[in-house]
Amino acid sequence: MTPIRRRTALALAATFTVGALAACSQGGGTPADGGGESADVDTEAAVTISVGNMPTTENPELRADFERKLEAFTEAYPNITVEPEETEWAADTWNALIAGGTMPNVISAPFTEIQSMIARQQVADVTDYLGESEVFSSLNPSVLAVAQADDRTYAVPTSAWTMGLLYNRDLFEQAGLDPDAPPQTWDEVRTAAQAIQEKTDAQGFLTMTLDNTGGWVLTTMSYAFGSTLQNEDGTEATIVNDATAGVLDYYQQLRWEDITMGSNFLVNYDDAVQLFASGQVGMFVQGADNYTNMVVKNGMDPQHFGVAPLPQQPNGLGTLSGGNLAVFSPTSTPEQLAAAVKWVEFRDFRKYTDEDIAVAEAEAAAADGVAVGEPALPVVDRSVYDQWLSWVEPYINVPRENFDLYLSTVEDVTLVPEPPVKAQELYNTLDSVVQAVLTREDADTDELLQTAQDTFQSALDLG
Amino acid sequence: MTTATDVTAPAAVEPVVAPPPRRRRRTPVTWVRHGGLTTLLFFVPLLLSFGYFSWWPILRSLVLSLQQTNFLTSTWVGLANFQRVLADPLLGTAVWNTTYFSLLAVVIGFPIPILTAVFLAEMRRTRGLGSALAYLPVIIPPVVAVLLWKAFYDPSENGLFNTILGWFGVGPIAWLNDPDLVIPSLVLYATWAGFGTGVIIYLATLMTIRTELYEAAEIDGARILRRFWHVTLPQMRGILLIMLLLQLIGTFQTFTEPYIMTGGGPENRSLTILLLIYRYAFVAGDYGRATALSLLLAVALSLLSGLYMWATRRWSTS
Repeated sequence: MTPIRRRTALALAATFTVGALAACSQGGGTPADGGGESADVDTEAAVTISVGNMPTTENPELRADFERKLEAFTEAYPNITVEPEETEWAADTWNALIAGGTMPNVISAPFTEIQSMIARQQVADVTDYLGESEVFSSLNPSVLAVAQADDRTYAVPTSAWTMGLLYNRDLFEQAGLDPDAPPQTWDEVRTAAQAIQEKTDAQGFLTMTLDNTGGWVLTTMSYAFGSTLQNEDGTEATIVNDATAGVLDYYQQLRWEDITMGSNFLVNYDDAVQLFASGQVGMFVQGADNYTNMVVKNGMDPQHFGVAPLPQQPNGLGTLSGGNLAVFSPTSTPEQLAAAVKWVEFRDFRKYTDEDIAVAEAEAAAADGVAVGEPALPVVDRSVYDQWLSWVEPYINVPRENFDLYLSTVEDVTLVPEPPVKAQELYNTLDSVVQAVLTREDADTDELLQTAQDTFQSALDLG
Repeated sequence: MTTATDVTAPAAVEPVVAPPPRRRRRTPVTWVRHGGLTTLLFFVPLLLSFGYFSWWPILRSLVLSLQQTNFLTSTWVGLANFQRVLADPLLGTAVWNTTYFSLLAVVIGFPIPILTAVFLAEMRRTRGLGSALAYLPVIIPPVVAVLLWKAFYDPSENGLFNTILGWFGVGPIAWLNDPDLVIPSLVLYATWAGFGTGVIIYLATLMTIRTELYEAAEIDGARILRRFWHVTLPQMRGILLIMLLLQLIGTFQTFTEPYIMTGGGPENRSLTILLLIYRYAFVAGDYGRATALSLLLAVALSLLSGLYMWATRRWSTS
């Protein structure tokens, strides 16, 4: 029934808000000529903004951290009233937020979505509001480019990640493997999976298969094996290729020859996280920024969490990467945009330029049990990031020594962005390919890839 | 409704007591005097809520099905959305899966509550407890129940069902992971989840059947099966026909079970029509196609209902 209700709400909301959105978007942050100039905004005026992504009560540590930042922000900017919301970006609710006019003034969204949001005018141009901030000048230009179109900036990148090979260090030890020397080739992954399967109660390797995650990981693996799945301008599907066929062969070997992939092949993101955090899975391909998810949210022992660079075949293209950005509602007034940008600056960037704030935040976060110093791909310049690390060094509560290989190579890895057009549809189409290979021993991989190619090509042709 | 009738009743009987002259016409004043305003007052909330939450969205979805929209700009595309839906190879898969699910749900899920209700009706002392137990699954929120069953269907040897089967030397069975078993597994869950409501309704109907009919049948020498066939079933005919129709409509709109348990997998073998609509809308962001398929489903179900009513009316009059 959910879709009907949602659609009903959408239909209703759309009717009453399209006009309002169209009208308001003209006033919200429409740029003056040229980039980087300051917007003409009264920053002292009383203003109220709604901000998304407040952690839910199920994550008390993260929520406390958020509330503390909010309190400090309100103290620093008494004219800005912040109304926090738990609203988050999700593929299936985003259009409803837009149509219903309930998008908060600022909310976090993934890298993959920003260009289509810009094209649909669903986010405000904030170029003129960033110019005022010294902090934003430390943003890594290559990361900031993700949020730009026609020399205008429409979002602020707040975090970035690469895919990685997550592995359970404890299971590695049990299986007689060295947790400090994680597999660096896919053959080594296969051998390690066999050892874990044989010597522990856990399954050696896992791949997600549901809710577009099967396709997401297959795309990641295809990059590592040597091919993208659509051409650069997103007009042609290139699913039929040797690299992807190679990945499916690899899956087949692990599933049907080695029997190291368990027995359940309907696994979504949450299932996989729980299986890994509870020690039932030795390795799987996942975002390398999952430390907080596994340890803080799902109770995994910090010493058991391991992350390694994603292995690459000799002609591999690189590692799929992504991240999150703060996007701003086009219905915001200029004052709200200025305030919302200040909030993002305060929440995510002040720590990089102000030692006192960095130390205070890290101390409080560590006291609350929030991870400080977890492995990630920095969104600011390396020197700025290293400076921050040195400031908060006494409060780092993440065993960074366990991620040496990942941390020492993360900036040398070739980053390959997610597919530029209809990524979620591509992933959804590929889900059933992965499911077929894992549930049918006689699955014909060439035929599966050809069907997926035809299906996705017709989706691309629809425009 | 009762209140409305009560309020209008005195006004309504007035003409009977003092019939108005024939040439007197209904004017707004007489309309108000006869309680029209009160009727309207009671009618307005109903009209508004149904209009706003049901009829208007239906009209809007009709409009959306002829458009391509991102809710900021919309383009009229005529019947293109319908053509694209009908050209989608997954539509055939979804229709087949949904029909298979519905038929299986009728074959397995329809007789069980009837037989359970007949059985409970015979139990005089424990009928209350029995019906409470039968109704219990309905009280569990569907999402919780579906997640529980997902765990029961764990395909490893340690899964609940596979452990039980293991005691008899059977299995392990892949359940939801088996392309051939995924729909029957979902039907098994749906039967468990829905049969409590059926039992309560059938039990209530059974309680209204006059005992003289059974006594007469008994005197004529009818045994239990003949009594069931010649007395119970004909007496329940009306409710059985309605319940069958409701079940058909309900199962053709199956969404929660495949959405949570399988995501339509493996290999789209549990992709239902509603799940396909969901994918159009929330994966592809294509509301035009989603509403087009919704309308096609609504038309198909209306035709099915019409055909069903026509067929059963003929059956009941013969």
